[in-house]
Amino acid sequence: MNDRVMKRSSFPIGKIIIWILLIAVAVIQIFPLVWLLDFSVASSNEMFTNGLLIIPKVIHFDNYVKAFVDGNFLLYLKNSLLINVLAVVLVLIISIMTAFATTRMHWKLSGTVRIIILLGMMIPIHATLLPNYVIYDKLKMTDTIWAILIPYIAFSLPQGLFLTSSFMASIPKEIEEAAIMDGCGIYRIIIVIITPMLRTSLVTVSIMTFLNNWNEFMMASTYLNTDKWRTLPFSVLKFTGLYSSNYAVQFAVMALTAAPMVIIYILLSKHITKGVAMGAVKG
Amino acid sequence: MEKTYSNKAIIVSLVLPGIITFIFAILAPIILSGYYSTTDFSGLGDFTFIGFDNFTELFKDKTFWTALTNSLLLAVGFIVIQHPLAIMMAALLDRKGKRAEGFFRAVYFLPNVISVVIIAYLWKFIFNANFGLLNNIVEMFGGKGNINWLGTGNAIWSVLIVLIWHGFGWGMLIYYTGIKNIDPVLYEAAAIDGCNNKSMFLRITLPLMKPVIQVNVTLAIIAALKQMETVYLLTNGGPGNETQFMANYLYKQAFSSFRYGYGNAISVVFVAICIIATQVLNVIFREREER
Repeated sequence: MNDRVMKRSSFPIGKIIIWILLIAVAVIQIFPLVWLLDFSVASSNEMFTNGLLIIPKVIHFDNYVKAFVDGNFLLYLKNSLLINVLAVVLVLIISIMTAFATTRMHWKLSGTVRIIILLGMMIPIHATLLPNYVIYDKLKMTDTIWAILIPYIAFSLPQGLFLTSSFMASIPKEIEEAAIMDGCGIYRIIIVIITPMLRTSLVTVSIMTFLNNWNEFMMASTYLNTDKWRTLPFSVLKFTGLYSSNYAVQFAVMALTAAPMVIIYILLSKHITKGVAMGAVKG
Repeated sequence: MEKTYSNKAIIVSLVLPGIITFIFAILAPIILSGYYSTTDFSGLGDFTFIGFDNFTELFKDKTFWTALTNSLLLAVGFIVIQHPLAIMMAALLDRKGKRAEGFFRAVYFLPNVISVVIIAYLWKFIFNANFGLLNNIVEMFGGKGNINWLGTGNAIWSVLIVLIWHGFGWGMLIYYTGIKNIDPVLYEAAAIDGCNNKSMFLRITLPLMKPVIQVNVTLAIIAALKQMETVYLLTNGGPGNETQFMANYLYKQAFSSFRYGYGNAISVVFVAICIIATQVLNVIFREREER
């Protein structure tokens, strides 16, 4: 590389502008969340001052206590965790089974079945809200865990199937053919040989499924009428009703509700960004 | 071996769970929706079949066209504002981010891991006339700071701001991954030839990113058509029906106006529009590639 190019690419003004741009966008993306945190430890009276952020006289952690107790935080968190873990596990299992049947097994309709399920990617969830509401009502499924678990699985399945089957196609058949020679059954091949080899794509599928369903709200709000299976986003809704004039507590409940996923994101940031990128590009 | 691979019982047992879930949660509801779309069902009690009356009404329904226009406006907002910015930031991060790359990427993406409910309510507060962040910023710059952000005339732009803000990180991340896949040797070679940053971006990054841009633009348009949650929680289509979107409108018709049949008619048209849009975009982009 000659000197002239080196000099130009490290020209300070250009560099400063670039950094200002990078930081400005970061501020725009993160400032609303900083604002949220700031207001969540203030008292409601302090909010009506000018200026962007408040320096609270007393840090009101009691806002969080109220949010935690009155927001039914633990119940909603338990529901969210249970429903999402079940959804991820079931999506993985069903995706592997369907992918194996449609890419490896020999039968006439394999292509058709695969395409039909993949078409599910084009169907917006909102188009199923009205009919599903009636179906679940008729089947007395409203307010049961199935009313959201089943649609969560169904809408994550197309992408799960897509990712697992395209990955499965790249696994050489020789290994499993050798296993069949040794008298190994299909089920055992799937569990012992195929599943471990699919690891990377299974991680992607898990992340995408978890991310999509953890924050899902419309279906949960349509199919669940009581607190029994409601998920985390509902604690925010509950509070706007309960404490409509106590803004500080509302801020606290929002911060608290966002916390679990933000913590997971900070811990697994690398995997999540990789997973999302892979899932989105391939999906 | 062939026998093992074409064992009918095993095949059925493998595909049945997937097929049943799909039929029960997606296919059957869509068909049922088609059925109800030809009735005047209110949600309760009896109903009669009215043929295609709901559909003829729909095409004369001003709100439906507002909703479609809003989707289009949002799609334009995504393509003209969000995506150019996203691709530019992705390129900057890749070329100039150095050690802070991971940090910025994580920050840009952060709003995406937060529930729409929180995002919508947070922005409701940001738009708040009394203590809202935006009016405080306006005041700081000498303005009056009494703008009614979610009022008539402003609401749709406010909704657009929230949606463009929220989805930015997602688009950026996909572009970023695409750019990471470009062979750095190309940039080195260009630098040796005396190419500057701007022409590197225009001559190397953009052309090589074409397939990623196409996928991303398709996703953005579909997302604009499917928009519901944020609008539902932020404005519920109001004031009037100014910020109405198709999915929100069908929901409102069915559950607030008790016109379940009509809501289903919107739903059917909605699905059709989404599928047609996906297909058309795929065809356009595929033909371009072949040329």
